[in-house]
Amino acid sequence: MTEFYGLPNAGEFWHWTNALHFVLVGLAGGMALLAALLHLKGHEEARRYTLLALLFIALDLFVLWAESPARFRFSHAWLFLSFQPASPIWWGAWGLALGFLASGLLYLGRGPRKPLAWALLLCSLVALAYPGMALAVNAGRPLWNALMAGIFPLTALALTLGVAALLRGVWALYPLRLLLGASLLLAFLYPLTLSPEARGHLWEEGGILYGLILLLGLGVFWRERLAPWAGFLAAAGLRALLAMVGQWQGLGL
Amino acid sequence: MPRYAMAIDLSLCVGCAACAVACKMENQVPPGVFNLWIREREVGAYPDLTVEFRPEQCLHCENPPCVPVCPTGASYQREDGLVLVDPRRCIACGACIAACPYDARYLHPAGYVEKCTFCAHRLERGQAPACVATCPTFCRTFGDLDDPESPVSRALREAGRVDVLRPELGTRPKLFYLNAPSKRGLTQERQVKEVRHD
Ligand code: SF4
Ligand code: SF4
Repeated sequence: MTEFYGLPNAGEFWHWTNALHFVLVGLAGGMALLAALLHLKGHEEARRYTLLALLFIALDLFVLWAESPARFRFSHAWLFLSFQPASPIWWGAWGLALGFLASGLLYLGRGPRKPLAWALLLCSLVALAYPGMALAVNAGRPLWNALMAGIFPLTALALTLGVAALLRGVWALYPLRLLLGASLLLAFLYPLTLSPEARGHLWEEGGILYGLILLLGLGVFWRERLAPWAGFLAAAGLRALLAMVGQWQGLGL
Repeated sequence: MPRYAMAIDLSLCVGCAACAVACKMENQVPPGVFNLWIREREVGAYPDLTVEFRPEQCLHCENPPCVPVCPTGASYQREDGLVLVDPRRCIACGACIAACPYDARYLHPAGYVEKCTFCAHRLERGQAPACVATCPTFCRTFGDLDDPESPVSRALREAGRVDVLRPELGTRPKLFYLNAPSKRGLTQERQVKEVRHD
């Protein structure tokens, strides 16, 4: 039996608003990558996706600030006044901010197109990579293992392609199926990469939902009208669920 | 430069929580969050029963995972080993809470992250941390690890056994538990679970 006087500060520290951010930042990074690639290919839809990148980055940065209990202390300026290369979130702040700048200039048609597109590409890769890393760096949290660094970028791209497919980007369907397929495969294998303890926790806390999300994801291989929705919702669900259930310390204390 | 550390002799601790209350008062820790708490566990069964009273708080890890993840530099480690938060820089992103394997950190209602400071403000005045000063069983010692004559160095030297929490994570805590009551050392939640499943 375990009892306490007082309590360890073991409650949830990231809430549904942070789960929302984990979805939005996937879209922001994914759209930025898409926009950059379309610009580099000289595709006619480049401008449209640049606008989407701009919107999703702005929306995510707004949500990040708005949901932060420090919002009115305006300490966020320190994100850009310090050099913290060991911090995934620091990378994310710069990746998103510079990505916003690059996509803004691209959208307005200001500045050299090619270099800006390359810069946006780089920023998008940072934005795609950092959320998974922000989880995976926490060695004490058994559910956030190294697979997070793969599942998060993959599901981010799936989210993005889901939206693109919904916008009748017919070209998006094939890569969506490919990338969501890869995400689902990783998500299916993920429980096997956990210790029995951690697997038990995942099962207890999110087991049924996890199974449902994987099932839903299979819908991406079904009808073309359904596929984008299935892809989008499964990718979003997976990201949110992993961010939420992973806030667990394990049984070592 | 000292290298501050704390030791708690669990063979003496009775889990009275005087330290936890002293901390609440000294640091005006808001309701619902704790710099310091007591974990009490029963392991085994009669006639082989152990009760462990274990005060827990920030261990001021020598290799603190909470510091490098901080995107603003608000979380930092001082030269004397204290791990502190500069509230002016903190954006309350919770990265450090996620990284701390000991649940030592919390969100202060004023919008920044807080935790045990080893009573940095008292150290400056040459006083021991409030929890150490108040402990009625004298099971807590504090001081400079690099000074062999400091109370903490002496306690460590004289202890029958020395343990730290979750040593496998490589955080190198500077809060040491001396003379853990169970033969298996510090108890873990998984032991409690095992018992329940037997
Ligand atoms: S106990 Fe937690 S908060 Fe304290 S130094 Fe170690 S990791 Fe950081
Ligand atoms: S919550 Fe504050 S101290 Fe902790 S990592 Fe974020 S900015 Fe740093």
